[in-house]
Amino acid sequence: MSKTLKFYRAKLKSKPELTLSIFFIIVFSFLIVVPFLKMIHTTFTYQSYDLRLARGAVQGAFTWFHYQRVFASDLTKSFFITPLLNSIGVGFSVTIIAMILGSLLAWLFVRTDIPHRKFFQTVIVVPYMIPSWVIALAWQLFFQNTRIGGQSGVLSTFFHIDVPDWLSYGFVPIVICLALHYYSYTFLLMSGALQTIDSELEEAGSIAGLKRREILRKITFPLVLPALGSSFVLTVTRSMGTFGTPALLGLPVRFFTIPTQIYAMINARNMGDSFVLALVLIVMAITAISINNKIIGVRKSFVTMKGKGFRAKPMELGKAKPVLVTLLIVFIIMIIVLPIIMLTWSTFMLLPDNYSFSNLTSHFWVGKSDAMISSGEPGIFLNRGVLRATLNSVKLGVLASIVNAFLGLLIGYSVVKNRGTRISKLIEGVAFAPYVFPGIAFSAIYLGMFSKSFGPIPAMYGTFALILLIVIVKNLPFSSRSGIAAMLQVDKSLEETASIQGIPWLKRFRLIILPLCKSGFVSGMLLTFITAMRELSLVILLVAPNTGLLTTMIFSYKTQEQTQHVNGVTLILLVIIILANIIIKKFANTKTGQSINLG
Amino acid sequence: MKKMQKIIVLCLIISLAIGSFAFAGGESEIAGTEYSPEMDSWAQAAQLGKYDKKQDWDEITALAKEEGEVIIYSASSRMAAVGESFSKMYPEIKVTSHDLGSVKTFEKTVGEQEAGIFNADIITTGGSGNFIYDLIANNRVVNFVPSMFADRIAKENKEPALVRIMEAIVFMYNTEVNDAPPITNLWELTTEAYRGKVVIKDPLASLSNLMGVATIAQHADEMKKAYKEFTGEDIVLSEGVPDAGYEFLYRLLHNDLIILDSGSKTTGASGKKGQTDPPVSITSFTYLRYNGTKDYTNGLIYPVEPADGVIYPTYTAIAARAAHPNAAKLFTAYMLGDPSITLDTVIEKPFTEGKSLEILQGLAPYYEIGSVSPRDDVPLPEGGEAWNEMNMWVVDPEYMWYDAPKVQDFWIKESAR
Repeated sequence: MSKTLKFYRAKLKSKPELTLSIFFIIVFSFLIVVPFLKMIHTTFTYQSYDLRLARGAVQGAFTWFHYQRVFASDLTKSFFITPLLNSIGVGFSVTIIAMILGSLLAWLFVRTDIPHRKFFQTVIVVPYMIPSWVIALAWQLFFQNTRIGGQSGVLSTFFHIDVPDWLSYGFVPIVICLALHYYSYTFLLMSGALQTIDSELEEAGSIAGLKRREILRKITFPLVLPALGSSFVLTVTRSMGTFGTPALLGLPVRFFTIPTQIYAMINARNMGDSFVLALVLIVMAITAISINNKIIGVRKSFVTMKGKGFRAKPMELGKAKPVLVTLLIVFIIMIIVLPIIMLTWSTFMLLPDNYSFSNLTSHFWVGKSDAMISSGEPGIFLNRGVLRATLNSVKLGVLASIVNAFLGLLIGYSVVKNRGTRISKLIEGVAFAPYVFPGIAFSAIYLGMFSKSFGPIPAMYGTFALILLIVIVKNLPFSSRSGIAAMLQVDKSLEETASIQGIPWLKRFRLIILPLCKSGFVSGMLLTFITAMRELSLVILLVAPNTGLLTTMIFSYKTQEQTQHVNGVTLILLVIIILANIIIKKFANTKTGQSINLG
Repeated sequence: MKKMQKIIVLCLIISLAIGSFAFAGGESEIAGTEYSPEMDSWAQAAQLGKYDKKQDWDEITALAKEEGEVIIYSASSRMAAVGESFSKMYPEIKVTSHDLGSVKTFEKTVGEQEAGIFNADIITTGGSGNFIYDLIANNRVVNFVPSMFADRIAKENKEPALVRIMEAIVFMYNTEVNDAPPITNLWELTTEAYRGKVVIKDPLASLSNLMGVATIAQHADEMKKAYKEFTGEDIVLSEGVPDAGYEFLYRLLHNDLIILDSGSKTTGASGKKGQTDPPVSITSFTYLRYNGTKDYTNGLIYPVEPADGVIYPTYTAIAARAAHPNAAKLFTAYMLGDPSITLDTVIEKPFTEGKSLEILQGLAPYYEIGSVSPRDDVPLPEGGEAWNEMNMWVVDPEYMWYDAPKVQDFWIKESAR
């Protein structure tokens, strides 16, 4: 026995990736698999809410009740089928538009001689940093018609254009608004992929006598296929799972999606039904992932970072240049500048939606508490709650981004090093699982799990640590993906050489792998920072007054209908995210387009 | 390698087992109406619940100051202001107020208690069914009525739980376009003239609005009678609709009812100036105050058959095994205002400052149009006098608990396109 143990110890020592893998499996099964099982368990048992519908039922007893209600009752059509079709319709439409838009932009910035490239590259990713419902708000300001009463949008008020319902609410605006947010995913992934492709490969094709179209089809396309695949998975799952925009633009014409139904059920504390629908979302996400794997194949990856430099040769745009630049500027004004101006303007309006100059006030920024205005809430800059929330949010963002970036690289290391084994697949899969987990369900389960102390883990209820933990876990999919992508690009032989020379693992990791993955590391950090700062549904159940965040602040202002405060705090959030983006980039000194990399 | 995998699988199983064990521990429940031993000794020590015999307010105040803190879970942001003024009166007591909204107040209270955490001292929220049939019935909170107010609050407002404030769901119209309420019978809203011209905040996202529509469904007989008065004929129910209450919701939804995500948007839909064909809104009475603060021009639709609105209470109670029971008692009394107020007391604006704040105390932030104290000796605020003239139904906790899920199912079924 001791001999076997010794053997394994030696084996583990020579294979740090195995030690890491075992560590990850234990930790993940507890932090991810157990909550998932708990969720499934909930769908098969009577919950307290159900006792109100099914009198005489026993709480906790096994039942098909929820599955029957969702899949085989007179509710099924309204509750499941129609929302499912809507979600799928939105998801795929958004994905197609976003991928075309993102790929074109990426190609334009990476492969052509477009002027002011650096500036455009920075600005074009801003929609990723803005919460997606901000664009929806802006849409309403412009396109709202008289259907819902009250104030009409700019188009019908100032230009007397009778906006039809289909353009004001429902499928079309939801798809457009979401696509304008999610194109940034494809853009970032494709920029990264295109940047790492050595144009020598394409030149080689050209020398070999391939035509331009053939080069694109036979060389470029296969090389960017993994990036396209990741964009597909990210965009389709995200846009099917999003809540804010469909709620805002869909409700007035009763266009429901799976997430809006989940939200309604959770609001009623009907956990069983909502978790069944959450499982539907999870199944859809898994389907998207397996479609991706079928088409692209997980293992098809290309080592393109070999430790030697290369240069991409930009394509000349010629006469098309001024046209493209003009189009770009219009695009940026429409989706970034205007929404932000609208948002800013609204924080200076005493009465919301009144655009006259006499209505302007600085009260919501610097005003002292006045009982007549927004329930006596003092201006944002004088507000201690906002200050504390800002500090907490930044702390959360910084800590989570550091931890996640390291974890991402370590996961990437153990996945790539074990590539082809079941362990590798398992870790990769489980680390991606939180992505498909609806945030609110996840936090409801965490609240139960970590409120009490057990074993070595103290009770974490109401602590900042618990919020940090859940944010880290929820962001693992992104950081592990960028970690894996970064590791995939590192030629195995580099580390092996060092290993042969007897350099210990930690040193190898620090001196070889880390520097080579710097761009992936930084991108992972930035990504986590942004999502951690924007996170709401995940943390809302877990915050205590002294651990409040900017987003929970926005939420509570929103429930109080204090529009100006909502928009003002949103602006603060936005400014912090953009500043962080600039600082991290400066600090890490990476290429602009690379700094966020979802791959 | 095979053995390695076995070890890994073993690790997985072990950690899953530990995890599941952690859950098993978290699912204990306070069942029935009997106190658990821990609850019993707490109640005895705190003189609360069945041990709440005689309240000695000097003693309570002294003990409260010793406890030094009170933690509130509320569905109202204004509770923070109550806490602030309370702390000025009792600087020894630190107030921590969680503004959670009604759904999360229940979620957090129940979730914590099931995990063995007793963090809150006061739970105050609307949501009648949940409050009475979950929190009170399962001893997650205990009812506490400060003795000085016991004879000034109607029985239904102090049993089985103390009401802190009452609000109502009402119908509003645009007074710029109409000189008088445009309807006199609710069934008019289901006619062709109101197709796409009625606005409501999503009852699936708002407990108060769910209570509003469920209470209409509950009063099926009155709705039936009102229909006959309106058309002169007996109502013919649509297929699969059980009664005239549900039929009203059915016809409203199939008359292109407009559902919005926010209460102020809903109120603005009917109330914004400069409209030519404004809708009628189903919204909270208290939003009538936007006529002053947001320059709306809303009017209350009343009298209307069969009822002018639905009153929904916000309850307050002391959380089970609260760490600061006496501070919680003191805070509960503070929330109801100074005992010296009478119907003749002149209360001047601004309510949240100076002399008015001194006598209104915890009522001050809630002293506004459409919010009414359960005390029978507090005058209505200026502009909200219509409350006493209106004929409103009151939310029934039992119906909300047992039947609201059915109403909600019905709403989901009929609202989807």
